[in-house]
Amino acid sequence: MKKIALIALASLTLLGGLLLGAKMVQIKGSDTMVNLVQILAEEYMGKNPGAPIAVLGGGSGTGITGLINQTCDIANTSREWKPKEIDQAWEKGVTPRNFVVAVDGLSIVVNEKNPVEQLTMAQVGAMYRGEIKNWKAVSEFQKPVSLYGRQSNSGTYVFMQEFVLGNKNYSTDMKEMNGNAQIIEGIIQDEGAVGYVGVGYLYDETHHVRKGLKVVKISKEPGGTGYVPTDKAAVDSGSYPIARPLYMSTNGKPKGVAAEFLQWIVGPEGQAVVEREGFFAVGEGKYKAANDKNFK
Amino acid sequence: MRKVLRKALDLALGLLMLPMVSLMSLMAQTPATPPAQTFSTTVYLDYRYFLSNAGPMTLEPADPTTAYLNNQFVFRRAYFTYESKISDNLKFRFRFDADNTANVTGISLTGDPVTGTSLKKDDKLRPFIKHLYLEYSDFLIPKMVLNAGMIETLTFKPAEERWGYRSVAKTLVDGYKDITGIEINATSADIGATLKYSFAKFFRMGVGYYNGSAYTHAENNQYKEVELQAQLTPLPGISFVGYMDYERQLPVAALPALTEPKGCTYKVDAAFEMVKNLVLVGEWFTYKNDLYQTAGERYDVGGWSAFGRYTFTPNKLALFARYDRYMPNSLVRERDMSLAIVGFDWAPYHASMKLQPNIWFVNYKNGVLYNASATTNSDIIFNLTFFLSF
Repeated sequence: MKKIALIALASLTLLGGLLLGAKMVQIKGSDTMVNLVQILAEEYMGKNPGAPIAVLGGGSGTGITGLINQTCDIANTSREWKPKEIDQAWEKGVTPRNFVVAVDGLSIVVNEKNPVEQLTMAQVGAMYRGEIKNWKAVSEFQKPVSLYGRQSNSGTYVFMQEFVLGNKNYSTDMKEMNGNAQIIEGIIQDEGAVGYVGVGYLYDETHHVRKGLKVVKISKEPGGTGYVPTDKAAVDSGSYPIARPLYMSTNGKPKGVAAEFLQWIVGPEGQAVVEREGFFAVGEGKYKAANDKNFK
Repeated sequence: MRKVLRKALDLALGLLMLPMVSLMSLMAQTPATPPAQTFSTTVYLDYRYFLSNAGPMTLEPADPTTAYLNNQFVFRRAYFTYESKISDNLKFRFRFDADNTANVTGISLTGDPVTGTSLKKDDKLRPFIKHLYLEYSDFLIPKMVLNAGMIETLTFKPAEERWGYRSVAKTLVDGYKDITGIEINATSADIGATLKYSFAKFFRMGVGYYNGSAYTHAENNQYKEVELQAQLTPLPGISFVGYMDYERQLPVAALPALTEPKGCTYKVDAAFEMVKNLVLVGEWFTYKNDLYQTAGERYDVGGWSAFGRYTFTPNKLALFARYDRYMPNSLVRERDMSLAIVGFDWAPYHASMKLQPNIWFVNYKNGVLYNASATTNSDIIFNLTFFLSF
């Protein structure tokens, strides 16, 4: 009996000690968003020292799984939730609220030695499905197309598949990279390369497009006007066809530090950081209305 | 009519396999870059200390003054899993499993060094194939999943996923034989196919069709096992899962009147997960097998379980507790047993390395008489479980 009492006492002491630790807001998910949200968190914590926030990547799928399993407080996602994930969340008592914190023009990039200036949505889709295998099919450039993309737990992977590939499978020749930075490194070193990255990853420290990269104009139809994702007016108006909202999802109405942090992000200070980092602000339209509703 | 139905069921498995076979032949013609592959390992072992003088029921010595084993290290499980993502919809899994449960129950307490006889039966952890299957997501229609090969059955999933501490103890139905010594028709893996479909977030269904001999035996009769499962989730965090399985049994000479014996399991799970970090579950089941008879009367095997866990800090610290009631013979209630488990789950360094100290309280009738005069034993066992997953 004495042994049981000793074990119970030791267990309770350990439990008590661990429970006294400070509560940190855990954020997990999209690799496209990880740098942006880390910078947002650092600026917010600088102004609010008593609000610890930890930000991790891993991909949108990882963030959503974390929110469903309640191992994080906020999931960063660069795509909408899949029906299967909504079902799983419902089963686990998780009711996601999705806040749009920025808008991303998903950029189609090639090596700077590639003469191609403009592609249609259909041509990009055909390349990633493996139907166009050489650049000569769309230009004078005689090089095999070398595809760079993300792994399947990435929201960007899923977004491209739905909106550009028409929900068809990617070519098995695509190199599945761990993150946006790895895609850019690959393209700089490969003349036949094409890749897709978040607009925030196009720029170097001097806020110019990285050396060795070229951003391709995208048109909706053959012969149509092409736009680049760095053109804010084109993204806002919907003329640039591969733009997407970036979300931060919570389980139900956010509370405490998580709620204050989200309010700050969608407010003027947070949105200024979003624009400074190369993404686009949410604006006053439908996304703002949805965010306001989510806070209530 | 029954023969026609049986043939139709046998054909169903073959038909389910056909799309997989045709897909595999297509893949063989397509030159492809290597698919995404992952390797993972999960291991758990215990340091076990018997706190009660009676000792554990499975190891109680005839003479407690000799060969009394009151503590031991137990290397309980090691999994090695290889997964290959062939395409967005198609996945392959191969899993080796290794355990030494047979060795633990096979230890002779009267063996060396007390009497000089050999303790060596087979002390090694033996790997065996647990999973060898293809999983096809969005099969035919979105949200339909087909698994074919040596696959996970539907039987334990609802409870096991929510209990979450397979490293500490199997769930009620899974661990029934280990606790009571009574065989029921339940296995975690078998050769066959399952088809699962989510109609909406409120309702999903699954059907399974297997050889019925589990992953431990080759099929030894012509009969197949059929499983049906339906899950209703009327509100976020509240689920009810109904389950049944059926398999014809081989007649036995001792019961000549039974020409077409059968075995069926009925099971219900109810889960409450509406409060953040809290999971509460109740499970009830009964197994009806025509061959299970006492003095010419059929008895049922059954039980229920209630368990919960509360996570203080995700991936760091959680508390869990469980109570099981085992009713191995509905005609001899003296055989009823209970098991209570309480413990906590602590990851001091990383979520892949955990310490799970837990205590088991086992209550059962002593001896083999199983009548009202049998004395009650209560064993108390402390386990320090080490969980590693990489």
